[in-house]
Amino acid sequence: MMKILVVDDEESIRLLYKEELEEDGFVVEVARDGLEALRQVPLFKPDLITLDIKMPGLNGIETLKRIRETERQLPIVMCSAYGEYKQDLTTWASDAYVVKCADLTELKNTIRRLLRLL
Amino acid sequence: MSVHPDGYALLKATIELSASSLPIETKMEKILQCITDGFESDRSLHLRPEAVLKDGFLSRVAERRKLLWVDEATPFQEEALLPEEKDLLCPSFACIPLFDEISFQGIFYIGFSKSRTFSSSDLEVLLLLSKEIGAAIRNDQLHRVAEDHVRRVRQLSTLWELNKALLTTVNFDRIIHMTLTAITIGDGLGFNRAMLFLVNDRGRALEGTMAVGPNSAEEAERIWSALSQRKGNPSELIVQIESSTENHSNLNSLVKAIEVPLEHEQCILSRTVLEGRPFNIRLPFCGEEWVQTRCERGCALSSEVGCYVSEHLSQNPRIYAFATIPLWGKGKVIGVILVDNLYNRNPITEDDIRYLTTFSNQAGLAIENARLYRNLEGVHQELKEAQTLLVYQEKMAALGELSASIAHEIRNPLVSIGGFARRLDRTLFADAPEKRYTQTIMKEVQRLEKILGNILTYTHEEPVALKKLDLREVMEESLSMMSEGLRNGGIQLTKKFSEKVPEVTGDYYQLKQAFFNLISNAYESMNGKGRLSIRIHPLSMNGTSFVKVEVEDTGAGIDPEALHHIFNPFYTTKDDRLGLGLPIIHKIVTVHQGQIEVNNHPGRGVIFSLTFPAQEEKQR
Repeated sequence: MMKILVVDDEESIRLLYKEELEEDGFVVEVARDGLEALRQVPLFKPDLITLDIKMPGLNGIETLKRIRETERQLPIVMCSAYGEYKQDLTTWASDAYVVKCADLTELKNTIRRLLRLL
Repeated sequence: MSVHPDGYALLKATIELSASSLPIETKMEKILQCITDGFESDRSLHLRPEAVLKDGFLSRVAERRKLLWVDEATPFQEEALLPEEKDLLCPSFACIPLFDEISFQGIFYIGFSKSRTFSSSDLEVLLLLSKEIGAAIRNDQLHRVAEDHVRRVRQLSTLWELNKALLTTVNFDRIIHMTLTAITIGDGLGFNRAMLFLVNDRGRALEGTMAVGPNSAEEAERIWSALSQRKGNPSELIVQIESSTENHSNLNSLVKAIEVPLEHEQCILSRTVLEGRPFNIRLPFCGEEWVQTRCERGCALSSEVGCYVSEHLSQNPRIYAFATIPLWGKGKVIGVILVDNLYNRNPITEDDIRYLTTFSNQAGLAIENARLYRNLEGVHQELKEAQTLLVYQEKMAALGELSASIAHEIRNPLVSIGGFARRLDRTLFADAPEKRYTQTIMKEVQRLEKILGNILTYTHEEPVALKKLDLREVMEESLSMMSEGLRNGGIQLTKKFSEKVPEVTGDYYQLKQAFFNLISNAYESMNGKGRLSIRIHPLSMNGTSFVKVEVEDTGAGIDPEALHHIFNPFYTTKDDRLGLGLPIIHKIVTVHQGQIEVNNHPGRGVIFSLTFPAQEEKQR
C-alpha cells in the first residue's frame, strides 16, 4: 500500500485530504508544518508528499529544499492556494504543482500519475 | 524749296487720332501715315527705345534730347551712322527724341527721298507732332498700367477672399480641397484642373494627395455653365462647393495612386520640389528638352498630363499647357501643385504663374498648419489613449494586489467547504432530499473558485514559460480538471484529434487555463444536456502551418447584442459565462500570437476556434 504524507497548516484541509486519499486506498499521515514533516519523512517513509507552501515556521519551499537534501527521488506535489509559484524557480525541485481546489480530481490524477498507478 | 504742309489740319488730325480708343499699334500707324501724307515725305517712323542702339547716331539724338535734321543746308556724314542704321539715310530727314517727365519713349523719324530744306515752321510743326506722338504713347502706357492695376486689385481681392475661406477651417482634407477648388473655379484662379502632391513624412517621395477637375470636356462645360449662374463671392462659392460635393473624380483616384521618388530627375514633379521653382510647359512646342523624355517609371500621370510627348501627341499635335509650382510651407517645399488647361486650351502666362504662386504661398502655409494640427491631434489622441491605458493598468494593478490577497485567504476555506460537501454528497442516496443541498454547495463553491482563478489570472501578469507543447495533451489535462462535472451530467463528449499535430510553442499552464475556460463555458451553456465536440487538427495557410482547436457546444449560443463585448473584461451580463473567462482566453491566445474566432448560432450553440502558429519542423 502506497503511503502519502500530507503537509498543511490548516486542520480542515489535512482532514479532507486524509479522508479522501484513504478512501482511494492510500495510507495517509499528516504533518502541520515543515519541521514536523522533516521529522516524519524518515519515520513514516512516505511514497509521496503533498506540500502546502504558506505555512508558519518552516514554509513549503524551505521544507522542499530540506527534504530534497536526502530524498532525491521521492515524488513531491506542491499544493497551494497560490498559483503564482507554479512557474517559480523556487518550486522547480518538486514534481508537480496543483492549485488547491475543492474538487480533488486534479490532485488525485497527479498523485496517481506520479505513483504510476494510472 | 519747301512744301509747307497745312500744319493746323495735320495737328488736328493727329490730336484726334491720339485721343481715339484704337489699339496703340493701329493708332501710331494712322498718325504716322497722316504725317507722311501731310509732309509728302516718303516715310515717318516711330523708333522704339529698344531700336536705339548704343553708340549709334540715334543714341546721340537721344542723349542730346534735341531735334536733329539733315537737309540741303546741313549736310550729313554717312559715317555717323552704324551699319544697322544705314536705312535711315535719306537725302533729307529729321529725328526728334520723344521724352516725357519720366521716360524716353523713342525717336520720331521723318525721311524724304528728295533733298529739301526744313523751314522753321516745318520744324515747329514736327516738334508739335512729336509731342502728340509722345502723348499718345504715354496715354497708352498709362492705360496699360491702369489696366494692370485694376487686374491686380481684382487678383488681390480674390486672393483675400480665397484666403478668408482657407481660414475657416484647420481640417486638412477641407483645406486642400478648398485650395484646389479655388485654383480651378473661374472666379478664383480659373485653371481647368489642379492636382496636389505632397512630400511624405520621410521626405523621400511625393504622394498624390488630391485632384480637382472635370472628367471630360462635356462635364467641364456643364460645371462652368452651372457656376456662371451662381452668385456670390469666391470664398462663399468654394465653401459651398467644398461642402456640397464629394471628390470622387477619376482624376482624383488616379492622382491619389501616384507616388514619385524625390530623386527622380526626369520627373517634372520631383524637379519642381528639388529646384523650388515653377515650370510652365507648353506642348508640343516645348522649349525644355527634358520634358520630351519618356518617364521611365511609367507613372500614371504621364497618361493624364504631358509629362512626356507620347507618340499619339506628336502625331496629333495640339496645344496643351500645364504648369507646376512648388508649394512652400515654413521655409521648405512641402509639395507641388500641377495645373493645366486641358479643356479650354488657354495658354498659361507668366502672370498666371505669378498669381498662382502668390496664392499657393498662402495655401502652403494653411496646408502645413493643417498638417501640423492633424499630427498634433494624432499625438494628442495617442497621449489620451496612453493615459487611459495607464489608468487602466494602475487600476488593474491595485485590483490585482487586493484581489490576490483576498483570494488566497478565501481559497483554503473554500477547499474545505467544497471538499466536505462532496464527501457528504457521496454518502447520500440519489433520492435523498439533502442531495439538493450538497449539490448547491458544490456548485456554488465551484463558481467561487472559478471567479477566484479568473481574477488572479487576469490581474496578475504571470511570467510566461515557453515550451514546445502538444495541444492534445494540454487539452486532455484541461478535460481531466472538468471530468467529474462531465461524468455527472448528460453531456456527450466527442474528441476528434488528428493523429499528427505539430507542436506549438507556449505556456502550459496558461493554455490549460484557456482550454479549461472554453470547456467549462461550453459545459455551462448546455445546462447538463447536450453534446460537446472538441477538435484539434493541423492547418496550413499561405505556406505557414497552424494548429486549430475547436470547441463546439449545443447550448443556447450567445446573445448577439452581447457578442461584441464578450472579450471586454468589465462587461457583465446575466449570463454567467461572460465574466472574466473569455477575456482571459483572449488574453492568453493573444500572448501566444494566436487568433480567436467565434461562430455564434443563437439557440443552437457556439463554436470557438483558436488558431496557434505551429512550431516549424526542421527539415534537412
